[in-house]
Amino acid sequence: MQLENKFTIDAPIEKAWEALNTPETVAPCFPGATLQEYEGDSFTGTVKVKLGPISLTYKGKGTYVTRDEENHKVVIEATGRDSRGNGTASATVTGTMVADGPTRTAVTMVTDMTITGRPAQFGRGVISDVADKIIGQFSSCVASKLVPEAEKPAEEAKPAASAPSGSEGAAAPTGPSAGSQTNGTGAATGPVLASAPKTPATSAMRSEVDAIDLLDTAGAPVLKRLAPVAGGALLLLIIFLIRRARRS
Amino acid sequence: MTTTAEPTTPGEIGRARVRKEDTRLITGRTRFTDSITPSGTLHISVVRSTFAHARINRIDTSAAKSAPGVIGVYTAADLGVESVGLPNAWPITPEQKTPQRPLLAATTVHFAGEGVAVVVARSAGEARDAAELVDVDYEPLEPVLDMEAALADGATLVHPDLGTNESATWVFDSGEAGTGGSVSDAISAAESDPDSVVVRRRFIQQRLIPAFMEPRSVVVDPTGEQITFYSSTQVPHILRTMTAVTLGVPESKLRVIAPDVGGGFGGKIGVVPEEMLCVALAQKLGKPIKWTETRSESLLTAHHGRDQIQDIAIAAKKDGTVTGLDVKLLADMGAYLGLVGGGVPILGAFMFNAIYKIPAYRFACTNVFTTKTLTDAYRGAGRPEATFAIERIMDELAVELGRDPMDLRQQNWIKHEEFPFNTVAGLTYDSGNYEQATQQAMELFDYAGLRREQEERRRSGDPVQLGIGISTFTEMCGLAPSRVLGSLAYGAGGWEAASIRMLATGKVEVITGASPHGQGHETAFSQIVADQLGVPFEDVEILHGDTQISPKGLDTYGSRSLAVGGIAIVDAAQKVIAKARKLAAHMLEADEKDLEFSGGTFTVRGTDKGKAIQEIAFAAFVAHDLPEGMEPSLDADAVYDPENFSFPHGTHLAAIEVDTETGHVDLRKYVCVDDVGTVINPLIVEGQVHGGLAQGIAQALFEEANYDEQGTLVNATFVDYTLPSPADLPSFDTHVVSTPATSNPLGVKGVGEAGTIASTPAIVNGVIDALRHLGVTDVEMPCTSQRVWRAIQEAKGRSTQETPTDTHSPGAGLGSIDPNNPQGEVQ
Amino acid sequence: MIPAQFDYVRPSSVDEALQALQEAGDDAKILAGGQSLIPVLRLRLAAPSVLVDLGGIAELRGIREDGDRIAIGAMTSYYDIIRDESVQQHVALLAQATETVADNQVRHRGTLGGSLAHADPAGDLGAVALALDAELVVAGPGGRRTVPASEFFVDYFTTALGEGDILTEIRFPKYTGWGSHYEKFNRTAQAWSMVAIAAAVRVEGGTIAEARVGLTNMGTTPIRATGVEQALVGQPATADAVRAAAERVTEGTAAPSDADAAADYREHLAKVLTGRAVLAAAG
Repeated sequence: MQLENKFTIDAPIEKAWEALNTPETVAPCFPGATLQEYEGDSFTGTVKVKLGPISLTYKGKGTYVTRDEENHKVVIEATGRDSRGNGTASATVTGTMVADGPTRTAVTMVTDMTITGRPAQFGRGVISDVADKIIGQFSSCVASKLVPEAEKPAEEAKPAASAPSGSEGAAAPTGPSAGSQTNGTGAATGPVLASAPKTPATSAMRSEVDAIDLLDTAGAPVLKRLAPVAGGALLLLIIFLIRRARRS
Repeated sequence: MTTTAEPTTPGEIGRARVRKEDTRLITGRTRFTDSITPSGTLHISVVRSTFAHARINRIDTSAAKSAPGVIGVYTAADLGVESVGLPNAWPITPEQKTPQRPLLAATTVHFAGEGVAVVVARSAGEARDAAELVDVDYEPLEPVLDMEAALADGATLVHPDLGTNESATWVFDSGEAGTGGSVSDAISAAESDPDSVVVRRRFIQQRLIPAFMEPRSVVVDPTGEQITFYSSTQVPHILRTMTAVTLGVPESKLRVIAPDVGGGFGGKIGVVPEEMLCVALAQKLGKPIKWTETRSESLLTAHHGRDQIQDIAIAAKKDGTVTGLDVKLLADMGAYLGLVGGGVPILGAFMFNAIYKIPAYRFACTNVFTTKTLTDAYRGAGRPEATFAIERIMDELAVELGRDPMDLRQQNWIKHEEFPFNTVAGLTYDSGNYEQATQQAMELFDYAGLRREQEERRRSGDPVQLGIGISTFTEMCGLAPSRVLGSLAYGAGGWEAASIRMLATGKVEVITGASPHGQGHETAFSQIVADQLGVPFEDVEILHGDTQISPKGLDTYGSRSLAVGGIAIVDAAQKVIAKARKLAAHMLEADEKDLEFSGGTFTVRGTDKGKAIQEIAFAAFVAHDLPEGMEPSLDADAVYDPENFSFPHGTHLAAIEVDTETGHVDLRKYVCVDDVGTVINPLIVEGQVHGGLAQGIAQALFEEANYDEQGTLVNATFVDYTLPSPADLPSFDTHVVSTPATSNPLGVKGVGEAGTIASTPAIVNGVIDALRHLGVTDVEMPCTSQRVWRAIQEAKGRSTQETPTDTHSPGAGLGSIDPNNPQGEVQ
Repeated sequence: MIPAQFDYVRPSSVDEALQALQEAGDDAKILAGGQSLIPVLRLRLAAPSVLVDLGGIAELRGIREDGDRIAIGAMTSYYDIIRDESVQQHVALLAQATETVADNQVRHRGTLGGSLAHADPAGDLGAVALALDAELVVAGPGGRRTVPASEFFVDYFTTALGEGDILTEIRFPKYTGWGSHYEKFNRTAQAWSMVAIAAAVRVEGGTIAEARVGLTNMGTTPIRATGVEQALVGQPATADAVRAAAERVTEGTAAPSDADAAADYREHLAKVLTGRAVLAAAG
């Protein structure tokens, strides 16, 4: 299943590029996720998908396999396995950016996703609709996170290739709270991708709510969790099975 | 409404008896395998691959081992069964490539659902809980999902060690076999003859799931002298032999019991990994081991059926005379060869010529491996595929020639007076009367009236169009003649065994090797024995399904139970009567030649002196006064191996209404007249025909097993595998005519698969007939409303969105249209 | 199949149920009819720690007339709704749609409240509640409130119900004298709706005076076809006029695509079926 999503960020491309390459910035925008470890180009974590009566918890890892600064292209591969043996999920997310004028950046995200096991054993259906919705939420979350930073001169001063900050703040258990758009010095300004922190996060980043609220489109940080990029799309699949499962 | 041939003689044969086994079956009183739990039983849960094709890097069982109630968690290596392979009993060619089919995948998984480890626990729930904790690290490999792509150069190989995805190619050519001419000559002659035509079509047999009612279950109890092995199987005798062969357990140490079995449809003729795992674990742990699958496990891992791509070419003169038939098949085996999986499409080889006189015929089938669930026998096994193709192409030929499709059939079929008839496929049809069945069916159906209505609806542009679907089928029943099976390299014979025990009190025990799984054998066989021995129906007990009671048999499949097993019972009864005659003569002080046996009594001709068979049985029991040299027993055994198959046939007619606005297909009326030979029990025949029709219609309209692009079956519940219910089907008009088979003393032919074999093409022909005038030439099965609607839209030349084809069913996206000839034009 | 372990609570009043939910936290599930939840548990796609069974709460069951409304307890079974005379007389569309749900066994077990709270867009009763302007009474930790159907369905399987909330009653205005019809299209007779149309109309002297049209499985929630309703009012109840109005049925929809039907086919079906439903409703 391939999902494509395009959105525009009100930030210059270098700023946007930096953000996209910063797990602490991007991850909280994926629903249901907890980032457990983050070292170099790799991270581990869980994604909890809870929708109607269904709940699945995928535990897995992700890797930035490509970071092409020149062309502003990043490729992330993530895989996970449901904690109750229901199957696996994997996704390859390719994000590319092009400057849309000096203060705006157009982002294209292509997510190629594979689900195996029980969640895939039901018809397909609404998946792509929901996927679009989820990725849309992710996009608006990312976009909204960037805006305030773009407006902060101090943040802008950080070059994309700055040394790793190793900021404990980024990995603090309290993490970026949902909707922490003004939480300037915390996770949102985390280390740049090209030089991710060498030390694993000291503790898992989680938010206080477990369930994803798929519907909270009110723009508020719906997406309370940090996740491998697969997070959003996983849940798409689930939808279908709720219905399908009725008469097993 | 149903009519059946009236019995010509008073007696049990032909009586519409209610099935004696139903009381226990439908009141929940019986015990299926899952109801059997010897004390101390341990339960297993199989950890299954979620990938269709992947390398197993690591299996971490540590968390599962420490879960509550867990006795052990085992991989193939832990059990030492890595080198064990499940049997394939039918190598169709000497060169056939047969991959090892393991009990648990050790290094590579080849389909989603394949077992990789097994958990043993004190309860089924604990086994399930622990199975979730087994962590398998897979390295995904490319799935192989499309047969044609699998055969292409450079294709990913399902089994790299075989060097190819082709298992075998089996060819029959009537020119070479001497049973007819050369079809390539016939087709080239037709192509260069302006007075001939050649019609080519591609048909797709979608993948189906047998969907038996009782999920599979196994209990193996090793605590006795023999290992007692219960299984929900169609084939307890074959299972016993194959278990001995597969695991090296002495056959004499195995007692296999198939208790009441809740359906099979061919889906329970295999020898499956879980059966062998239960035996291996029972031996290892010394405790009874039990496995019962979930419905999703069943849909995912029990073998599937059909799944063929059929390229058919038929040559005919413009006057309608068929001159040649060429059949090329690709058959999807799935990941491994099942017990007889490779042979299933080959069974169809003898049936493509069907009821027609075709002078030249060639059949070639290539069996292909993919990373899907394996396929094997499913109700009809090869014959539905053949019947579909020939009956569909006869309709296409009729359209090409501008002929009524029934007329064209009539012109080409074997006339009543031409029996026995040697077919181009090398079989001898002993009997049949296609004229009689067809005439009766057309009258009951009101063929002419419906054609008029069809014409009227076309003229008025009615949004609901009417189509008439025809299927004039025959099939071969009684999978037996051992010499024929031998010539096909089938790994066993085809005989069947029976024994009759005359009890001291005059009651009768009949032992059959044809173990039923819902067909009503106990009733039908009791009727036969009651007639043969002249004892009351109620006094006959049919024993089966336990190798201690019924040590010899080849079980139930291929519509063989009556045509083979029933005749074995008749033979045994005749032996009992011969012994009884001797004793009766002694008791009556008469000469054997002067005795008549009728209604259960031997009488001295011309006198009123007689002895009932019950009295004779008692005399044999006490053995106080027997003739010189006679053993004190009337009991007898018989093993019957027929000389030939039997060939039921029939004419099936369907009136189909298609709502052209929505694409909805409604089966308005269905009439069939079947000739199944002598009818033992018309109620059972009707039940078999009803169920068979529902199953065949389901292929035409409802069922399909789909895989996604990762190779995951997406119909793993009955929500998505859409079985029809009575609410989706009309009341069938089933009728029976009887031309007794000449190949057996009862004149029976077999009925278990007829409805399934006949009905599918009748429905599809009807759907297309309703839409032909709109320009529709084919609709792929199942003819769902969306497919029908799109076919209409495409015919109208409107561009509509393609039907989603995120499946790898054969020909997905191509429909059944010859890709080289999308309009289905005659070449 | 055997579900994972859970604790089971069977309260006898709504207050007890609310308390049980409160105590169980967000890992609790409410068991109403169980026709969707139990299969999910058996497939182990959900493993709640607590199941709160509302089956023992008598106050949630039953149908009564309440002035100009018909009030139906959330735990009233489909079967009881289909047979109820006041429903047949005043909210016939509900009885008609309920009769199409799955099979007889499901209709004896499944409940109206369970179906609405589950909020499957392919479920049949959401479209009826929406089209007929039902009100849903919700009991929660903070007391009781009434939510109009138009605000109840939020998205796929998502409603205005909070984690600690219980749907207690569904109140339908009376549509006495209206014509109605539920036109359902599915793959097999007992399958989920591929598309279905809930229609109720009041015809005066051959002219459609009022119309209510709800859509099943044409988006992420049940959808009210307001465009069709507007187009129907004032039109003669004739095939041509109704079919013309039905053309507007896809406004505001987002038809899903699945193995049974791609979006374009669903949209086509919706138009055809809307025409049929309204004509049947108009008699």
